[in-house]
Amino acid sequence: MAARTRDVTTHGEDGKKGMADTPDGRGHPAGAPDVVVRAERLSFGYPGREVLRGIDLSIGAGELVALIGLNGCGKSTFLKLAAGLLTPSDGRVLLDGDDAARLPRRAAARRVALLHQSAPAVPALTVRQLVRQGRYATRGPLGMLRDSDDEVTTRALADVGVTGWADRPVDALSGGERQRVRLAMALAQDAPVLFLDEPTTYLDLRHQLEVLQTVVRLRAERRLTVVMVLHDLNHAARFADRIVALREGRIAADGPPGEVVTERLLAEVLGVQGRVGIDAEGGWPVCYPDHPLDPLQLLRNENHIH
Amino acid sequence: MSVLEVAPAPPRRAWRSPAARMGALAVLVCAVACADLFAGRGVTGEGVRAVLLGGGGDPMAEHIVLQLRLPRMLVALVAGASLGVAGLVLQSALRNPLAGPEVTGVTPGAVLGAVAATGLGLAGWDSPTAVVVAACLGGFAGAGLLWLLAGREKGDPEQTAVYGVLVSAVLAGLTAVVLLVAPGELGSVVQWLIGSTEGRVWQHWHLLWPWAAVWGAAAWLLSAPLTLLRCGDEQASAAGLDAGRGRAAALVCAVALTAGAVSAVGALGFVGLLVPHLALAVFGADLRITLPGAALLGAVVVCGADAAAQLLSRLLVVALDADRLTLPVGALTTFVGAGLLLIVARRRTDER
Repeated sequence: MAARTRDVTTHGEDGKKGMADTPDGRGHPAGAPDVVVRAERLSFGYPGREVLRGIDLSIGAGELVALIGLNGCGKSTFLKLAAGLLTPSDGRVLLDGDDAARLPRRAAARRVALLHQSAPAVPALTVRQLVRQGRYATRGPLGMLRDSDDEVTTRALADVGVTGWADRPVDALSGGERQRVRLAMALAQDAPVLFLDEPTTYLDLRHQLEVLQTVVRLRAERRLTVVMVLHDLNHAARFADRIVALREGRIAADGPPGEVVTERLLAEVLGVQGRVGIDAEGGWPVCYPDHPLDPLQLLRNENHIH
Repeated sequence: MSVLEVAPAPPRRAWRSPAARMGALAVLVCAVACADLFAGRGVTGEGVRAVLLGGGGDPMAEHIVLQLRLPRMLVALVAGASLGVAGLVLQSALRNPLAGPEVTGVTPGAVLGAVAATGLGLAGWDSPTAVVVAACLGGFAGAGLLWLLAGREKGDPEQTAVYGVLVSAVLAGLTAVVLLVAPGELGSVVQWLIGSTEGRVWQHWHLLWPWAAVWGAAAWLLSAPLTLLRCGDEQASAAGLDAGRGRAAALVCAVALTAGAVSAVGALGFVGLLVPHLALAVFGADLRITLPGAALLGAVVVCGADAAAQLLSRLLVVALDADRLTLPVGALTTFVGAGLLLIVARRRTDER
């Protein structure tokens, strides 16, 4: 397995010059002592389908990383593995030096808070009650039986600006409001690392910006390490200080937005032809996707290992 | 964020606080308990009052009230409470509003256990301990069968419900087989199938209440994991709960509570399925409050139904000029419950 992984990596480098594909990334504090999440030869698959094929990635404390890639390229799977919710088929993820898959559930949840893509409706649950559930990792089943609120819950409600409707049922909220409440639940875990799986899906533009700006602000205030899966490359380029692009279970690009967001990335990772400019005021790259590449062109770009 | 309009919470009226609701419910429990004591045949209201308020009255009335009606009422209360809590635990753990002991193989399994033990001559109404053990074994077997059948589709409420109905049907069929093979026991055994509080005595009460108290307390201690399970497995495990382990512990509590209730009063239809909906509507989603609430509501429902069934029996005797006619409480809860279930199901489809 290890030999095969190396083979894959080498091939990837040959195929994409100028794109970081090495295990350590490029120009990042990967080897620095304050690495909080480190994936080593991380692979995962279901019978008949490999999702991740030998990911090597280090994320330092305080970084804000955007994970991008097509649907099914393994972004969500990576977050679940890194949060210890799935067991890798090969390799491992270290959280502060400990194997994530072997940490007890509660211990892992104290280190990493993961906001899933979607959540089922829970009848009768109020905003405050849902956010309070984030305290389970710290307080445990019996600790949760005591007094109803603590300051972390209150702070989490305030962080996302939902204090005003803490007693409303979650079911009665709009999609954007619900997403903020779920973000508050993740914040109530009070973990130093925050994983967000498509936090802006289903939201209108205004609420997308609200959620992303909240994340950026809290990350600055609390020195949080944030990894978020984003579909909008422009959001990733604007808000993240590092972009990791996945393609077919491997890292296709890794670096700051200014280096990574190129027309080549659009074509090879996202399968669209487009142009990339620079935002006149902010200085971050801006993409103008024009049209999807036809399958023949995609095939030429692919470097499948059979 | 301009949506940050912090409106002051509306002043809460006193009756809206959970404590006030719990108090009102406790009063209601006492009311139906008294009603149950007065509802039966054989002793007049004055006779009951005389016995309760410091002896007096004839020895016959005293025996009926103290040795028959009082334990019957207490058993009805605790069995109802057990079923209410078991239903809420099941619905939370399986995240399925249509789950209940009746449709997850637990109740039919417990009935099969009780009937089989009776049919084999191992137990009877005069040996309640054996019935409790047999009902528990049957309840766990029924739940285990569902667990095996549902396999990988356990996370899907609809699929689990379908398998639950299947398992319940199979177990009911097996119960019918036992009844056919051992027809001599038919008379006493039928009471388990429909659910009845007739003839429950202090022996039943002494067995039931410690069992219900222990498992009810265990269920309450699980209220935090149960609340998380209601939020879905993904969210629950992200928040730090081992969802599989939490669900297993919850199911053990639910099965034990159901088996205790079934061994005492038989398969009371729809109580475990509908009381949780009522409890959530009255007390909200905080299970630390709602689980005790479900216990009180279950007690009110079963004891109230018992009182109503006895009153109806008296009326029917007069109306039909029958010599002796007893409406079992299970028939009443099933009848009313089926109607309520229709309403719940309608509301659920409307919400989609």
